[in-house]
Amino acid sequence: MAQALGEDLVQTSEPQDDSSSLGSDSELSGPGPYRQADRYGFIGGSSLEPGPGHPPADLIRQREMKWVEMTSHWEKTMSRRYKKVKMQCRKGIPSALRARCWPLLCGAQACQKNSPGTYQALAEAPGDPQWMETIGRDLHRQFPLHEMFVSPQGHGQQGLLQVLKAYTLYRPEQGYCQAQGPVAAVLLMHLPPEEAFWCLVQICEVYLPGYYGPQMEAVQLDAEVFMALLRRLLPRIHKHLQQVGVGPLLYLPEWFLCLFARSLPFPTVLRIWDAFLSEGAKVLFRVGLTLVRLALGTAEQRMACPGLLETLGALRAIPPAQLQEEIFMPQVHSVALSEQDLQRELRVQLARLPKSSPGPSPQPQARLPGAQAIFEAQQLAGAQGGAKPEVPRIVIQPPEEPRPPRRKPQTRGKTFHGLLTRAQGPSIEGPSRTHRSSFLDTRF
Amino acid sequence: MGNRTEEDYNFVFKVVLIGESGVGKTNLLSRFTRNEFSHDSRTTIGVEFSTRTVMLGTAAIKAQIWDTAGLERYRAITSAYYRGAVGALLVFDLTKHQTYAVVERWLKELYDHAEATIVVMLVGNKSDLSQAREVPTDEARMFAENNGLLFLETSALDSTNVELAFETVLKEIFAKVSKQRQNNTRTNAINLGNAQAGQDPSPGEKRACCISL
Repeated sequence: MAQALGEDLVQTSEPQDDSSSLGSDSELSGPGPYRQADRYGFIGGSSLEPGPGHPPADLIRQREMKWVEMTSHWEKTMSRRYKKVKMQCRKGIPSALRARCWPLLCGAQACQKNSPGTYQALAEAPGDPQWMETIGRDLHRQFPLHEMFVSPQGHGQQGLLQVLKAYTLYRPEQGYCQAQGPVAAVLLMHLPPEEAFWCLVQICEVYLPGYYGPQMEAVQLDAEVFMALLRRLLPRIHKHLQQVGVGPLLYLPEWFLCLFARSLPFPTVLRIWDAFLSEGAKVLFRVGLTLVRLALGTAEQRMACPGLLETLGALRAIPPAQLQEEIFMPQVHSVALSEQDLQRELRVQLARLPKSSPGPSPQPQARLPGAQAIFEAQQLAGAQGGAKPEVPRIVIQPPEEPRPPRRKPQTRGKTFHGLLTRAQGPSIEGPSRTHRSSFLDTRF
Repeated sequence: MGNRTEEDYNFVFKVVLIGESGVGKTNLLSRFTRNEFSHDSRTTIGVEFSTRTVMLGTAAIKAQIWDTAGLERYRAITSAYYRGAVGALLVFDLTKHQTYAVVERWLKELYDHAEATIVVMLVGNKSDLSQAREVPTDEARMFAENNGLLFLETSALDSTNVELAFETVLKEIFAKVSKQRQNNTRTNAINLGNAQAGQDPSPGEKRACCISL
């Protein structure tokens, strides 16, 4: 097993009929004899050199300068030139600048500024023993082949412990979800613990609320939404999946919960995160749809998967060359799924959820679709009464009836259809607002 | 028990691994299907699976072993996991009493989602860590007997009883299947009931049966 799997999706090379979901990325070969860590820190990883199609050094320099300029005047940039930010995120943030850009994009930097001393207090407080035990058991099981996480006393595992513990203290009702491990680990590969913590908070509360809590209710809703989108955009694949009995919960949770950190080559994962922090959950759906299309898009591919196991295997065995960032990401960005489409489908699926199902109902309206919405919300919160001692909690009360309001919104003459730009940010207040059509307000 | 690498097989048996996080489900899976073990295998977040085809007598059995996250909150999204399962290994860590104390809860979870006739083996894993034992063998064995479960102690690390555990479960399933077939009419009624889709072997293989017990 000294085979270097790198970060690529490599199927086991042993000739057997047995399909397996194990062996699907860089984490599974044992350390073996000493091997060099690649440029991302993965021991035995294959990203020693930048992959083919990677932009030349001077283009990277140019982008770095753009980002330095944009981030030096972040408020101005986000107020007036978000389109440029979005575009640059799609092209990929230069590695050297992710540490600077990610906390700005996701609003973590603002949170940190607004809550001085909070993380310090959390880091110093003793954790709930039961959570500590669970977290402790998992520390050596996140990215075990990454040099940062190899040693129990190293920065990686200790940082993970700190950040995850802090979260359980910060949101005790949420506690610890194992998928937070890989997410926090990727953050810690780029950021010191406090910054990583606030980014984790933003991801768990603002980008993907309802994902990491005790019921994971938003994951179930998004699984339904994903199937509905498949039916609309890739109907033959949808039909195949139905026929072989592959429901989305058999493959989607790991993808979405870990933001693909466990499923794809690492450079591609970082590109996805750049876009995700910029544009929100819709990126996850676009990536998922692209993966499904790459795995099962042709009739030949579907015929080669007569059953459930083969189909699941195919989803995990897309040739690495097709997942290489410069080939994969343009396809992601051109998926015909707008924010509006996503919001519409969320509404439809939310309405279809059985009312009797246990646990909290998902609140997709609480989800902010990316950096601009977060920026605006934070601006609004700031304008309303100075720095709050807490992370701004963006919670919108769902409408009483889970369906869009029939009456014409009181909008002072504005129309929503085809509206590409908005004058104001998303509603963040509760039911005292007169118009509750928050989902109609979301930008693309 | 042999290991066939040809395409054809007579039966597909889906077996699920359940139990608390960290008891060793993923390593039992990898030990049985790939003869591998890793101290640092990743936390299981989604659903993992692996297969191995074995011979029971003259019948080729494709064992489809499923593995998933043990942490409590994943229960909400893993109910699909149980569909069509005919066997289960309910695993606890014999060096951590807490993982044994919740076995009843796991049994309930299992019976809530799977067929009542499912074959269940209680597995006390990590027998290599004998110094750190917290669950006496007899206690667990008695619990298993009282609840109609098979029982073994295993070590995915040094392979002790891993083959035997899976083999025993598969044999038990096979025995039930054979009995059911004897009880059926001569036309060998195959029950293609719910959730059998996906368990058909590909066309061109030997006559195969998908069994719902």
